[in-house]
Amino acid sequence: MSGISRRPFLASALALIGVAAVGGGAYEFGLFRKHFSKYGDLLNALDNPDNAEQVGSAVLATMPDFDAVKTAGDLRTRIGKKSLADVLIADAQANRVIEASGWVLPETLALLCALAAKS
Amino acid sequence: MSAFVDARAVPAGSTIETDLAIIGGGPAGISLALALANTPIRMLLLESGGTDLDPKTQALYAGSETGVHYLPLEASRLRYLGGSSNHWGGWSRPLDPSDFEKRDWLPHSGWPFSRAELDRYLPRAQAMIEAGPMIYDRQQIWTDEDGAPIPLAPGGVYTSYFQFSKTRDSDLPTPFGHRYGGDLKRIANLQLMLHANVTGLRLAANAQSLDRLDVATLSGRKFTVKPKYTVVAVGGIENARLLLASNDVMAAGVGNGNDLVGRFFADHPIPRQTATLVKFDGKLAPYYTDQQDAANAHYRAAFSPTEAFKAQRRILGSLTTVENSVPLDELGKAALATTAAALGVDASQARAFSLGCGMEMSPDPDRRFTLSSERDALGMPRLKLHMTISDDDLARYRDTMKELGRQLLVAKTGMIHLDRKERAEWLSVMDWGNHHMGTTRMHVDPKQGVVDANSRVHGIGNLYVAGSSVFPTYGSSNPTLNLVAMTLRLAEHLKTVFP
Repeated sequence: MSGISRRPFLASALALIGVAAVGGGAYEFGLFRKHFSKYGDLLNALDNPDNAEQVGSAVLATMPDFDAVKTAGDLRTRIGKKSLADVLIADAQANRVIEASGWVLPETLALLCALAAKS
Repeated sequence: MSAFVDARAVPAGSTIETDLAIIGGGPAGISLALALANTPIRMLLLESGGTDLDPKTQALYAGSETGVHYLPLEASRLRYLGGSSNHWGGWSRPLDPSDFEKRDWLPHSGWPFSRAELDRYLPRAQAMIEAGPMIYDRQQIWTDEDGAPIPLAPGGVYTSYFQFSKTRDSDLPTPFGHRYGGDLKRIANLQLMLHANVTGLRLAANAQSLDRLDVATLSGRKFTVKPKYTVVAVGGIENARLLLASNDVMAAGVGNGNDLVGRFFADHPIPRQTATLVKFDGKLAPYYTDQQDAANAHYRAAFSPTEAFKAQRRILGSLTTVENSVPLDELGKAALATTAAALGVDASQARAFSLGCGMEMSPDPDRRFTLSSERDALGMPRLKLHMTISDDDLARYRDTMKELGRQLLVAKTGMIHLDRKERAEWLSVMDWGNHHMGTTRMHVDPKQGVVDANSRVHGIGNLYVAGSSVFPTYGSSNPTLNLVAMTLRLAEHLKTVFP
């Protein structure tokens, strides 16, 4: 009985290890992209690089003169040691919002996404 | 109880004398007759139609249009007892106080009186349209069971409430003709005549008073009414037509010495899918999307710009409703996920909702009715409408939605997508409220208004106009409640002019 039941168990365990390896690799790949970006210190605050790049492309379409280096410097100053959520709330409170393909976004978030799309 | 009189049976060529002629049996005309019941004033109410829709009578409304696409003139209103209340939606809300104010940035704005003046008549008007107690934004209308409104951070948009005319035992809003027909028959000092089309307002030779009315039926009968006073209450479009077409003494039409009659026409643009609201937690109280019952009222929520926001940002009124759940495209999903995560909010249950609105137009003298060369079955000139809508009006509404989005972000409750930007996009989803306003605007200065503060036609001592055609600006609230209140105010004035 035990020999019959061991085979599917092993197969399942191997499958799980494989899924974990692939998923972990994707995760590491995401981190890799972030860490090797010139703006990794800023972009690490974003949840998903692919989503950020997609939004960022929409933001860049409204900013033909976007200066990534200057924007990154400004954002480092603006964010400092504060939480990103607090910075975004402060943006919206101060009416610093940017419209990207119709989406009304806090300015800091929009600029971070634009950096992600540029990096 | 006396039956209604059929004008087709009135002897041809006869003359009927009365104290007060009320032309039109819609919400304004009927409200006026009810308000003047049991007074010494002998009233004759002349209604073009019968008690139900008749295609030949309805066809008298047909006209033509240029400019921005608008509704066919014969389809946008109803010509029988009860008028357009026979197909209204029952949406009700008082005009805002700022609607009455002179706004320096808005040309042609300013009523001759404040909202406080209308407040005297709104409760009775509310009763006449059967919309339950006047709650609106004065106190909490929603129940704990339905849940609280969407949390919004302080700012330029707030959750406002419509009430609906349907508190009696029917799903239909109050149709004034059927609802009040029995009451009208019981008014001893009222004679109500059906199938009676007024085809001319005939002035005295000095053009300072109205002498008589030409009346005709589609059966070919013609007779005359000689009133001491007359109130024209045939709707926001037809009021102008009757004045313009009565041009035998005043060449430009009655009350049109300053070329204002028919100008400043307005409706409420109702663009669909103006924006998409994403609620991070996916929860939405039911009164945002559907009428709910509470406190003997039917109500529904809408987003409205605050009075302060309108003043500071030079914004016109609007009432934005949540329509239905909609899917997000890939960019929308990315924007939602990125924003919610950055705010530290769980958006795993997020839902998106389409928004629609009714918005205010800025006054425009070139948005106007003129007489065409075509004539209807009674020989009256038909109307030609030139319709406009300004880019500024669309941009102002868009700014309001952007402000709503900002407040949602601050509150960490959701976000907004602005669905329309270019003019062509707006016009592609444009519908209209069938709220005809402005064509005989009210102003104390005859050079700026057709009627004075009492709704009397400037320069003509015994002629008045009732209905939303006298609104000099329009607000975003649906007009019926407000025009009934205005009519009740007129009734109080008329009681003072009779000895």
